[in-house]
Amino acid sequence: MKYLILATCVLLMTGCSIFKQPVPIKPEFPVAIPDLMKKCEQLKTIEGDKILITDMLKTIVENYTLYYECSAKVDGWQEWYIEQKKIYDSVK
Amino acid sequence: MSETIIHLILAAGVVGLIAGFVLGVIPIIGRYKLPIQIISILLFAFGVYLEGGLANEKEWQLRVKEIEAKAAKAEAEAAKKNVELQAALADKGKVIREKGDTIIKYVDRWRDRDIIKEIPGPERVRVEEVIRYIENCPIPPELVNIHNDAAKMNKGKEIKK
Repeated sequence: MKYLILATCVLLMTGCSIFKQPVPIKPEFPVAIPDLMKKCEQLKTIEGDKILITDMLKTIVENYTLYYECSAKVDGWQEWYIEQKKIYDSVK
Repeated sequence: MSETIIHLILAAGVVGLIAGFVLGVIPIIGRYKLPIQIISILLFAFGVYLEGGLANEKEWQLRVKEIEAKAAKAEAEAAKKNVELQAALADKGKVIREKGDTIIKYVDRWRDRDIIKEIPGPERVRVEEVIRYIENCPIPPELVNIHNDAAKMNKGKEIKK
């Protein structure tokens, strides 16, 4: 009888630690940088009747510029994700 | 349930246990020994359970506060990092645009014949010849179309062959 009571007490004491609740708090999801949210621009085309090589060259350079701007955005997203994940994961 | 009540329940259980199991030899207590023992065991067990719950709750609240502080710190850090990344991205974009503009201005100098003024001596003759070619040899529309199709390849349009 006594042992049974003792066992019940022990069970009750350990019961508290079994039912641990998770902490319902986590940091707010960070807002993305506005520049990263802008879509990449469509590449430019060459318009007109008499197209000189300089006109074509200018359009090509403008398109390279657009590509590198878009590429910078992709790099920016990757860096943003890595950095923000690191910060988010630090809350545990 | 307040902390005091929980402590009182446990204390009552402990006192009851002492009374029931140790002081049972005293005649007045001895008469009610069994009910005292049963009630005090139940009170003790319930008290232990509540004390455990209380300790657990305190620990949990402490953890909540700790996480809240960490979350606030993380949010501040995230906002700071956003500002840094925004500035870095703006700088990168500015450099790309500036470099592009510089090249376009250089191309314009060829188109506007300004390049000739910068080149001295016999090299100027060669540049003038190149400019003549530029002015007199427009790009065939077929080649322009190839370029334009390539520029619009993400639009799902069929490429002309």
